[in-house]
Amino acid sequence: MAGGYAGKFLRVNLTEGSWGDFTLDDDTLKRFIGGSCLAAKLFLDRYSLDADPLSPENPLMIMTGPMVGSGFPGTSRFSVCARSPQTGIWAESACGGTFGPDLKRTGYDGVVIEGRSQGPVTLTIDDSGVRITDASSLWGRDIYEVTDEIKAHDKSVKVLAIGPAGENLARIAAIGNDKGHFSGRAGLGAVMGSKNLKAVVVRGTSAKAAKADDEGFKLAMKTAMQEIKDSALAEGLHMMGSDANMDLGMVTGDVPVKNWTSGGEFDLASNLSGPTMREKYLTKAHACTNCPIACKRVVKVDDGPYTTEEGPGPEYETCAVFGTMMMNPDLTAVIKANEFCNRYGMDTISCGSAIALAMELYEKGEITKDRLGGLDLSWGNMDAVLKLVRQIAYREGFGDILADGAVHAARRLGGSAMDAVVHVKGLEAPMHDPRGFHGMGLAYMMSNRGACHLQHFVLATEQGMASWPQLFDMKDDYEGTTSEGKAWLVYNSENYGILANSLSICHYVAYAIRPETLRDAFNAITGFGFDFADLLSTGMRDWTLKRGFNNLLGISKKDDILPKRIMTALEEGGAAGSVPDMDLLLREYYALRGLDERGFPKEEVLLKLGLNELKERLYR
Amino acid sequence: MPIKAMTQEWMDAYKAAIQADPEYKSIAKDWEGSVSLVVNPDPAKNVPEPIYLFMDYWHGDVGEFVVCDKEKAESAKFVMTGDYARWKQVAFKELDATKALLQGKLKMRGDLPYVVRNIKTVNKVIDILGKVDTLWPDDNK
Ligand code: SF4
Repeated sequence: MAGGYAGKFLRVNLTEGSWGDFTLDDDTLKRFIGGSCLAAKLFLDRYSLDADPLSPENPLMIMTGPMVGSGFPGTSRFSVCARSPQTGIWAESACGGTFGPDLKRTGYDGVVIEGRSQGPVTLTIDDSGVRITDASSLWGRDIYEVTDEIKAHDKSVKVLAIGPAGENLARIAAIGNDKGHFSGRAGLGAVMGSKNLKAVVVRGTSAKAAKADDEGFKLAMKTAMQEIKDSALAEGLHMMGSDANMDLGMVTGDVPVKNWTSGGEFDLASNLSGPTMREKYLTKAHACTNCPIACKRVVKVDDGPYTTEEGPGPEYETCAVFGTMMMNPDLTAVIKANEFCNRYGMDTISCGSAIALAMELYEKGEITKDRLGGLDLSWGNMDAVLKLVRQIAYREGFGDILADGAVHAARRLGGSAMDAVVHVKGLEAPMHDPRGFHGMGLAYMMSNRGACHLQHFVLATEQGMASWPQLFDMKDDYEGTTSEGKAWLVYNSENYGILANSLSICHYVAYAIRPETLRDAFNAITGFGFDFADLLSTGMRDWTLKRGFNNLLGISKKDDILPKRIMTALEEGGAAGSVPDMDLLLREYYALRGLDERGFPKEEVLLKLGLNELKERLYR
Repeated sequence: MPIKAMTQEWMDAYKAAIQADPEYKSIAKDWEGSVSLVVNPDPAKNVPEPIYLFMDYWHGDVGEFVVCDKEKAESAKFVMTGDYARWKQVAFKELDATKALLQGKLKMRGDLPYVVRNIKTVNKVIDILGKVDTLWPDDNK
């Protein structure tokens, strides 16, 4: 058997209350590796695309990859996958934390959860086996409470849980691992809620996935540790967390302001930045299992209206969406909003984007105070925002309209709302403005879960955090506000970066180490003997498989489009006067990717990548 | 008339250019502390020895700007080290200094969050550096 794998997968049917194991052959593992790529393959092979995403027929897959549990830096990750209730297309959301390695040590590479339980349940997987137990007493409680309650019996277990948002089928609901790590995007918490599955609890100690080459692994591990030690990026992440981007991004035009209508708000950024969080509210840095970078923030707010106990702090995305996007200069309010979203179990990007949309419509008079149940949703009014966050999770009042995300909300609200939403394929864009970085615009258009900064390494390559000329022809430094040469950069950064979610390695670690080191560690674990070309073609297969999945659900060229707001230039800030050249980007990208006029992978591309069954389905 | 790079005359010209810049004073109002640039030798490009440059910045003003020895360079609040070719790329704006740092092409000793917080000041002094009429050691002029 290939190295690095536990060797079996768990299939649980909650309708029947049954479970069993299944295995996959080495050839399948070598071609689809693990994580979200293997999940997409399993979905296409075994499940119907016709089922409503919130129906029992939509499987929820929790998948690790071969590097998970190896001890290599950044490989604590796992991907949660399903068809998205928010977008209707492929959904995957990778998460760090503690859950992945423990799941692997129970002897499973992944879990596929089917059906729907009659009432709330917890799924427990540990060394002694699998159990489905009643979770009625946990239903209705938030993620922090549930995690504490479960850990009160055994603090060594690792917990994946949903909060009220998932229970209430908010299509922006997230799944939390041990309070501080989230599978946030595309509504996977609602899929879990639709199954009446409150929590998945794992504790694995016995199973150990053998490595193909222990000595080779030790060497790669040593090299990686040294590279991380030498990396200014890793140092910056450790000191400032992902919010190190706030100051830098405001200069370059990366940070969206006032629902994507403004830029150049340097004082605002400074108030919300990683250095400010470090100076004022950071109590310690925290790491996912086996990560020397420790980019996670633990914060505490002692004074003011938004005091919080010591707990997980916000990432950059949250600081932007509850900060600059809402014209809120108060970092303590962002920390509070982050805590609320964590507790209720909601994706901060989607939740914040929906609220920022509502703020804009309120300013325009398209939403009245009456409709908001008396809330004054003026820019920067964080008391009102925090009330609305709760209403969204519980689908109360106006919160019900926003609970399915900004696009669903805009459809219900009408007026100018749809023009004010920045999304691709139904998923709100993360907090990186494509007007400042045109390659990111293309990456948003072509990412298989909708607008996304985590299905590729474009953030690293276009913004200059990493340069990998040994992988593909690239420059040390790209100008953000040009579309020239970006299709090539995006195409290759996708082919490499998409592997993060199949190998299951953190983006930040992959940015900090050389591709040679990642390749060597991967080979030492699996024994696959991949060279760079093999890695990149595995990435191509991954991307093409998911594209085909989406094509089968009706996605085509018409959906590869940036929204009107992004195609409207800003007047100030680092991205002033700039919009991506969509035609150029798409024309060049389509040629590189081998997409036809409809936006489908061409037959010869599918055959070359060994996706024969997908070809049959797309071309029947 | 171009000035030979990384000489005292060049440092004087750089300092004068910063002082003359209409925006510098306000952009750099919060910056305090000296910066050293260490240029690694590259004999093939006519840089036979390491070069040490010391620059003192203080709340929008500039103080000592000198070519110095290793000891003085290392006394600075921030010490940035890199190969000659990288520094030249930075001066020509072919390589952004922050990106060079993140990619490991330049190394820095000092308070990274402070630099991030004051990134506009960093960008401004590099911008001005590019405007000094310079004769580089490997230029064939
Ligand atoms: S860099 Fe941060 S997110 Fe990535 S594995 Fe380390 S601690 Fe987790």
